[in-house]
Amino acid sequence: MNTQETLLWINEQFSHTNELVQKTLEYEQKNIAYMYIKSLIDNEMLQKTIIKPFFEMANMEQFKLYVQALPQFEEVPAKEQVLLEIMNGSILLEIGNELCLIDLKLSKNDEVSSASVEMTIHGSQIALSDNLLTNLNLIRSYYRQPTLNIEYMSLGEVNQQKVAIVYDTEKVNTQALKLIKEKLQRVDKQVISAANQFNNYLNDKRFSLFPQMIMTEPPDRIIYNIAGGKVVILQDGSSQCLAAPVVFFDFMNTMEDDYHTVIISTFLRLLRYLGFFISLLLPSIYVGVTSYAPEVFRTELALTVAGSRMGVPFSSFVEVLFMLFFMELLLEASIRLPKAVSATATTVGGLILGTAVTEASLASNIMVIIVSAVAISTFVIPVNEMAFAIRIVRLLLIVITSIFGLAGLTLGFLVFILYLTSLDSYGEPYLRVYNYKKNKERSEGHL
Amino acid sequence: MSRYFYYFVLINMVANIIASVPSILLRHYNEGSVSAMVLATITGTLIITVYAKFFIQFPGMTLPDLLKKTTAKWFYVPLILIMTVVWFIAGMITLITFTFLLIRYLTPEMPIILISLSIILSVILGCLIKTDRVLYTVEIIMLITFPLIIYIFFKASTDANINWNFIKEATLFINQMPNLESFTSSFYLFLGVGNLFIFNRFFNIKQKFGWKQIISIFFITILTLFTTYFIPIGFHGTSEIESLVYPWLQTSDSLRMKYSLIERVLFVFLLFYLCIAFLSILIHWHVAVEYLKYLFTFEKIKVKDVNIGILIPPAIFTVISTYFVQALNESQLFRFSSIFYMILAGFFPCMILVFFYIKRRMKYAENTK
Repeated sequence: MNTQETLLWINEQFSHTNELVQKTLEYEQKNIAYMYIKSLIDNEMLQKTIIKPFFEMANMEQFKLYVQALPQFEEVPAKEQVLLEIMNGSILLEIGNELCLIDLKLSKNDEVSSASVEMTIHGSQIALSDNLLTNLNLIRSYYRQPTLNIEYMSLGEVNQQKVAIVYDTEKVNTQALKLIKEKLQRVDKQVISAANQFNNYLNDKRFSLFPQMIMTEPPDRIIYNIAGGKVVILQDGSSQCLAAPVVFFDFMNTMEDDYHTVIISTFLRLLRYLGFFISLLLPSIYVGVTSYAPEVFRTELALTVAGSRMGVPFSSFVEVLFMLFFMELLLEASIRLPKAVSATATTVGGLILGTAVTEASLASNIMVIIVSAVAISTFVIPVNEMAFAIRIVRLLLIVITSIFGLAGLTLGFLVFILYLTSLDSYGEPYLRVYNYKKNKERSEGHL
Repeated sequence: MSRYFYYFVLINMVANIIASVPSILLRHYNEGSVSAMVLATITGTLIITVYAKFFIQFPGMTLPDLLKKTTAKWFYVPLILIMTVVWFIAGMITLITFTFLLIRYLTPEMPIILISLSIILSVILGCLIKTDRVLYTVEIIMLITFPLIIYIFFKASTDANINWNFIKEATLFINQMPNLESFTSSFYLFLGVGNLFIFNRFFNIKQKFGWKQIISIFFITILTLFTTYFIPIGFHGTSEIESLVYPWLQTSDSLRMKYSLIERVLFVFLLFYLCIAFLSILIHWHVAVEYLKYLFTFEKIKVKDVNIGILIPPAIFTVISTYFVQALNESQLFRFSSIFYMILAGFFPCMILVFFYIKRRMKYAENTK
């Protein structure tokens, strides 16, 4: 296909917009033509790299060499690709009947932001930006290995989003990499707006509760994951990235565990698992003990619980669900509220509702304590997605306990573990006890 | 041997503490239970050794695999069917025992069907998942429950109420001739190794089974078996001990954690033992379903592209066990399990003959290659 045809075709594609700028420059037997989309181009750069040299160069030959030497220079691929590149912020340059692309993208989102989801004290305080190239730059400059490999794809039929798969070729879990690539190619969606969506798109199951990929933002965690053989998926316009395959314990770890002294981090880990169990089991234990087997607790405690429930018109099951429902509403509301109003919401929800509900004897005092303990311990789970999943499992356990009692709770918990172990994350078992000292056993596996 | 091997050997030993094994042993306390236990420990360790040694020669192969390779169809089809029934009953006995326990001690008002269904439904998921995942589940649940169960054993043996004179008295009956019922029921504790028939699929790396393993197994079994038998005697004495229905439950109810949130150890014991019983049923029924998979291809049965064939064996298991939960009472269950243990004590040593045959055929097959 010759130059003119390509230009005509591209013109045709953009016939519905007035954003496309086409210009021809002629000066002292030199002439070039270029086209670009106005809103995507850095005007200053255009002036500096193309227009000014054009008028200063002695002849066409020199200008052509100069353009070819530019770092942003790119040969012209197929015309569909050219179209895509123009929409990505390149300008199409015609020099002496030859076409080339020069990337002069103006990006206003390439500043590295500070961590907003994964807050840490000791860990990395910066997070990814919204710009893919900046993010890759961040990863490359922290992970100095020639084996670091980056593959690009563009997904989403309508918005053609750039997606990068980052991994260390030597360390990567090849089976998982293969699966992820296959599944990425199969993604058939119109619009892809954030990397987090892949958690669902790459999952073959229609209903899934537990995340199969971990969402993360600080670069220290990303390079830790890459070095651990994980595949990281980044997407342009998304300040979060996904790492896979994951195991359950990844969701209970923070990067800070490695930054503290051993005893402190062991203590913190213990605290976290304790919080995990409390947030999962405490409401159900309350239901099971008060409604089914009050004799399980020591007599004094059983009497205190019964005394506190005096005057409460509901069964413990309704009481727990009632209070948890309001807690979940409060959580959900406080996420979306503007900062100015959110303080009011917590005051109204937490303080006023808490005291009023016990005074109106709609719930017992102990119930209020349990609900707040549960809320606090849910926040202890470091990765948000896992905390969300646990909230749902907790509700299921409450329902099971109210039907089958304490034995039902125990069995429900066992089924929960059974379910977790039966899950897969890209070929890796989701939950199993690894012997980290025996790396050989890990890599070979038993099956 | 991989650590996973010990899990299913250990689960079978520990799970039967709450089942009828201790009460059968205690019923014959003056008729040779002690000597039967000593005999069972020796023969049990022997059978574990023979089984483990046999299976490490064929890494990654299950017994049905080997049978299909080496024996005729008229032989292996009935044998696998018999094994399915055996494993199913082994799981069912634990299930029924625990259902009875729950209705006696924790939820007396609940309908018995509901209790048994709650256990069955939770186990069924485990029958369908992959073999390695069953072992991972077993490991995690063991890690959670075992410290507490060991604590209870420790607490029981150091409790002020335990009278060591009773135990000394009971040991004196060692001079009695071993009694068949006591022997077979204590021998049953060692038969967890039989799960290797299917779980050997998981051990596809060549394993070692030497003196170190044999000795550790030997000591673990001695410890569990003798705690099972002597601690209830230490608490309750020897007179009328034979009338205890659930010796270990009554023993744990004699314990008190003075400063804990839960004062009566019984409830902790019951709920944590529920985990162990769950694992025991899970392992047994998983193995039973896997046996059936060798005989029938369940994947073929489909309704609207949804594979329901695989649900058939758990459904049958559910129906049969809910029937037996209602039909049996405790004394029938005890007699039933006692007979079952006797049959197994014959069945498992006989399997060694099959092993010899398989080994010879495999050797022959290798040589002709």
